[in-house]
Amino acid sequence: MRVSPRIGTALKGAIRPHENDSAFLLDPHRRDVPGRDRMRRYDDWDEVDLVIVGCGAGGGTLAQRLARRGWRIVVLERGPFWDPDEDWVSDEAGSHELYWTDKRIIGGEDPVEMGKNNSGHGVGGSMVHYAGYVPRFHPSDFEVFTRDGVGADWPISYWDLKPHYERVERELPAAGEWWPWGDPHGYPHGAHPVGGGADVAMEGAMNCGITMKVGPVGIVNGVFGNRPHCIYRGFCLEACKVGAKASPLVTHVPDAIEHGAEIRADSMATRIELDESGRCRGVVYQRDGREGFQRAAAVAVAGYSIETPRLLLASTSKRFPNGLANDEDQVGRYVMVQGAPQVAGRYPGLARMYKAPPPEICSEDFYETDPERGFARGFSIQTVAPLPIEWAQHVLADGHWGRAMREYMRDYNHWSVLGVLCELLPHSNNRVALTGEEDEYGLPIPRFDYTQSPNDRANIAFAKDKLHEIWEAADAQDVLTIDRYAHLVGGCRMGASPQESAVDSDHRAWGIPNLFVADGSVMPTQGSANPALTIMALASRLAERLA
Amino acid sequence: MAESYRGAGHLPKQREGGMPAEPEGVPRQRRGTTPQMRGRYPDYDVLEQSSHWDDATREVVLARLDPPPIRFFDDGEVPTLTAFCDTVTAQDSDPKIPVLSLVDKKLHEGKLDGFQYEDMPDDRDVWRIVARGLDEAAMELGHPSFGEAPLDDRHSICERFAAGELDGGAWNELNLTRAWSVVMRGVLQSFYQHPWAWNEIGFGGPAYPRGYAALGVDRAEHWEPGEEFDIDPVEDASARGLE
Repeated sequence: MRVSPRIGTALKGAIRPHENDSAFLLDPHRRDVPGRDRMRRYDDWDEVDLVIVGCGAGGGTLAQRLARRGWRIVVLERGPFWDPDEDWVSDEAGSHELYWTDKRIIGGEDPVEMGKNNSGHGVGGSMVHYAGYVPRFHPSDFEVFTRDGVGADWPISYWDLKPHYERVERELPAAGEWWPWGDPHGYPHGAHPVGGGADVAMEGAMNCGITMKVGPVGIVNGVFGNRPHCIYRGFCLEACKVGAKASPLVTHVPDAIEHGAEIRADSMATRIELDESGRCRGVVYQRDGREGFQRAAAVAVAGYSIETPRLLLASTSKRFPNGLANDEDQVGRYVMVQGAPQVAGRYPGLARMYKAPPPEICSEDFYETDPERGFARGFSIQTVAPLPIEWAQHVLADGHWGRAMREYMRDYNHWSVLGVLCELLPHSNNRVALTGEEDEYGLPIPRFDYTQSPNDRANIAFAKDKLHEIWEAADAQDVLTIDRYAHLVGGCRMGASPQESAVDSDHRAWGIPNLFVADGSVMPTQGSANPALTIMALASRLAERLA
Repeated sequence: MAESYRGAGHLPKQREGGMPAEPEGVPRQRRGTTPQMRGRYPDYDVLEQSSHWDDATREVVLARLDPPPIRFFDDGEVPTLTAFCDTVTAQDSDPKIPVLSLVDKKLHEGKLDGFQYEDMPDDRDVWRIVARGLDEAAMELGHPSFGEAPLDDRHSICERFAAGELDGGAWNELNLTRAWSVVMRGVLQSFYQHPWAWNEIGFGGPAYPRGYAALGVDRAEHWEPGEEFDIDPVEDASARGLE
């Protein structure tokens, strides 16, 4: 059923989300999650209905949904249970604890740097420090192979996910203008005002005939339970102390706790144990230097594209000598990142890009395949707004250090930055594997190899040229360019058979009936959209399938 | 003659030869501190806003004004790497941001960035090998160490490092491009986390719980600095024979 476009715009303001009271359970005067002191605790020997590994976009959403259905749930989260008032700061360098910074080896021809750019740590996962963009995938993303003869098809379609996109958008809540691309839709909250940086970028895009729209961001813009309004302080990537930006910590965890889930923080899962019949019986984990074993009737892994494959590969046994769900050597393969070069433009006026949220305006004009461009699939364009340390990296990447670097840095307030997200295709050799070296938990350190294909390189080059065109059309006085990557999905992709995937369309590991993968690693393709919303929508759908 | 920084003639890529103007063209700081006491916002001191910051943030930021003593690097490495940090950030006079102290704190606490290239050692080892390599390069030019080399030679060694053109000795243990990126990531993170650098570039700094209301080009909160200009950074510099 297609929802009338009018409904999206009519439903502005304080719509109460369906079966999720998180925003109302929060304290209006303090930012830590209420109810932790009376949170239900399960004993290790008590067999819970489900143990979830990881409390990010996937694990947090899945826990909330199933706790609501009466499931007895334990979530093992490696990082801390954040108290935003005490633990988070309005500062770049002071936010190091938000990232997964354990050692990872990177290789391949085009290695992907890990850490702050693409890995989270703690309750809320990487959504704690994501920019806040929450676009949907397009219907075409689910049938890339059929349409373009590259990549893969999903075993599910956009229309399977659509009701979950709508439900999660109400829970975040998503704010933005009417969205004309993909499956056109509106958002529950209206668009936020834009800052100086986005103003000048919008003008350049308009001069090039490119449509840009404000949003969509998971940032409260109006009355929403006890979640405050955004104060436009610009530190979205350093975790939202305000509580206006959505992450599972504020959107799903409060409701999960209220319905009996235990979020067991500071607990690193090290191994999934099987019984003699080949079913999971629980998860071994380490907390405060002690090993525990949580018994469970089912296990869902939601550790994201590096840690999920790593845990499955490390859980070897006589029956599964190559790791779980890996009889066909599929686990850890087809890991994807998006090509994300950024180009900054210089203006006479002071744009002060540190003000207002960095995620502001987007264009999906180039999202779909255009045969004229000479490569398959496309990219999206978005504003970003680096704070001083990130801006210094941008200046360095353009080749400036010493006195030249200081000059460009002093010029900070005159600049505005546009970035692209290029859809890079899934390749089997872009994979996570285990090294021979062990970490403090005795787990093998993971290694991630990444190499671009000619189609990937052509996409990135075209998109970068397009950004330069926009700045030229906006009469920018100077430009600075940086090449980089963004996001991380794939590694345990869903598919129609165990020969080409790690899990089935219900996220169930091939060959193990009570093991599920509930994070971004199940994605067979990634589109040019930021993945957070789709990871949540997938977890929401999985819960519906399980319940 | 330009009347403000609305023009872009002062930017390195817009100037002949791509070289930056002399910093003497930048206004002298009148309030608060900037590295080398120049900046575009001479009456702005972000530290005067610290009573508006939340407690957790204030504690983290103010601690940078008084970094702990060096614990990671040894006595031989410190003068070499201090000279390196100052050269690549153009800190040629006091006051200086203590870049190496902040790098040392990060490495001592083991707060690494979460990845290691397959052909590279641990970041901590990269810093030590670079220190050795810089001294070797300075000795090739006839100086006892990098720290004791004159600025011009230090600059040319850094230039070759940035271009991946150093080799022999310690440099053979590293992928030069990646080593440059490892150390520069640490240097820039240390320099631009310091409130003096925020004064220099007119960054508003921490903004919780106050936030911002005046969004848009050339709009400022009442406490945000205006950019000032007192000498034409392009023409005055050449007129005064500073180039």
